[in-house]
Amino acid sequence: MNDKLIIETTDLTKTYRHYEKDTGLMGSVKSLFIRRYSSKTALSNFDFAVQKGEFIGLIGPNGAGKTTLVKMLTGIISPTSGTISVLGYYPNKLENAFKKQYAVVMGQKSQLFFELTASDTFMLFKELYGIPDETHKKNLDYFVDLFDVSQFLNVQVRTLSLGERMKMELIVALLHNPKVLFLDEPTIGLDAVAQKQVRHFLKEVNERSGTTIILTSHYMEDIKSLCKRCVVVNNGEKLYDGETDALFEKYQSHKKVTVTFAHETLLALPAECTLIEQSAYKASFLIPKGLTREILRELMKQNELDDITIEEEEIGRIVERIYHNTRTVVQ
Amino acid sequence: MNKSLRFIAVLLKMKLSHMMVFRISFFGGFFVDSSLFLLQLLMFNAIYSQVDSIGEWSKGQMLIFVGTFSLLNAINMTVYFFGVNGIPSKIKSGDFDHYLTKPINPLLRLTFENINLGSAPLVLFSIGIVIYGMSVQGGSASPAACLLYVIFILLMALLYYDMEVLIRTLPFFVISTDSIEQLECAMFDLCMKIPGVVFKGIFKLIFYFILPYGIMATIPAQIITESISPVGIIYAAIVVILFTVLALRFWKFGLRHYKSASS
Repeated sequence: MNDKLIIETTDLTKTYRHYEKDTGLMGSVKSLFIRRYSSKTALSNFDFAVQKGEFIGLIGPNGAGKTTLVKMLTGIISPTSGTISVLGYYPNKLENAFKKQYAVVMGQKSQLFFELTASDTFMLFKELYGIPDETHKKNLDYFVDLFDVSQFLNVQVRTLSLGERMKMELIVALLHNPKVLFLDEPTIGLDAVAQKQVRHFLKEVNERSGTTIILTSHYMEDIKSLCKRCVVVNNGEKLYDGETDALFEKYQSHKKVTVTFAHETLLALPAECTLIEQSAYKASFLIPKGLTREILRELMKQNELDDITIEEEEIGRIVERIYHNTRTVVQ
Repeated sequence: MNKSLRFIAVLLKMKLSHMMVFRISFFGGFFVDSSLFLLQLLMFNAIYSQVDSIGEWSKGQMLIFVGTFSLLNAINMTVYFFGVNGIPSKIKSGDFDHYLTKPINPLLRLTFENINLGSAPLVLFSIGIVIYGMSVQGGSASPAACLLYVIFILLMALLYYDMEVLIRTLPFFVISTDSIEQLECAMFDLCMKIPGVVFKGIFKLIFYFILPYGIMATIPAQIITESISPVGIIYAAIVVILFTVLALRFWKFGLRHYKSASS
């Protein structure tokens, strides 16, 4: 095995069995005697390899299988079939020697103690991972300085903003110098400033410490600015695995534009645009990338616009396009 | 081992800090537990004002039995009840994920995560009742009986823990265990009021072999009153070992079936 290869999965599959019931009381009574189950394949024959020091983005719509993959890589759940190796370990064996070498941050599940201060959680993690005093102090000082959060260390966690809390989550995850960091939607719900700070922090960690980072995110900006390589997942299958720039170059063909009007307006869009939604004072639509300036200039001439927002296309649309255009895995 | 003890010490420190944030709940738990304890004593006083013995057990023996059960309950409430009791909700919500990713036995962490020092004074009250029961009984226990009593209190606290873990491991496989927890509560209440020696036939089989709540306070009470045979002591020790092995194996089996929850 290549000694730079730290994560490798072959034909990794996870299938869940769900209990199904008809609606209403009769359905409940029937289900008491006749149980009906259905299977859902959350991840199917997934081949995946990660080299040491890589920063990889996992993208895909809700329910695509990204979180399932992260949960199998961290040992939280076991695969149904296939092989999996992370840092040379089988994750679901849950060996402490393995757990000491990675960290996981889940945007929607906190590992901080809400009623206590972040410093209290740092103390617990120091003991948990057996971090020597010197390393703990050095790392803590470095990360606290990088995030500029020294003023929040002794404040009750529940009183912190979502952004401040996520910074603390990242600090606590990195105190023991993990070789691999799994991040599941770390910027979800954060404002633009906090998102930017988190991105800067992660970039620094990846570049300075050589920490391998696997990131799942719905935000294009996270993936574009951080991950050189990305993997697109949909319905448990890998649709794309390659350079992020190449992916966006090829499949992100539109910009999402939202305009608001000063007066009630019925917007007439040119044929090249795709309308997403429209109301009397607001409209959202997609414009082909190369035509953005030209079309917007024309729209401004014809309508009294109050405001314009130009965004990257949503991940879901790109995934949809890849799925429909290729139907094959691009390597 | 040292690492685990140090970790438990940090958990205890954190729990103390946490409890002091909420002053009312810090003292509240103690008042609730003390009230339940006093109610039970009042009930036994009422019963023994009408009868001289229950199933050949005198008032003194019954006081020792009640004190012993209260002692076990106090140890349970102080050390592990609130931690173990939180397991089902963590499994159902997916919060259990974080416990699996940390380099410490998740059961150890869950067990000692919610130590409740508010119930600790009840340990002393319960010991007081046992001593009072001994004086009512009119005899004194030998040092060997006292030592064996302490050992069996710890073993029975472990058995109590095993029973709690077994039930709270079920959510790895089924959606709701509320009814089973209610049944556990009812059986525990029953065995807290009636010494195991009173059970006969099928009830003896249930409370001595299948769900051994019946031996938890009865055996230590019999030990300190020196009214148990060596076979009875060996039997109780074997039950504890079997249930401990069963609880740990079932827990490990449950871990392998953990499905997490969608985020």
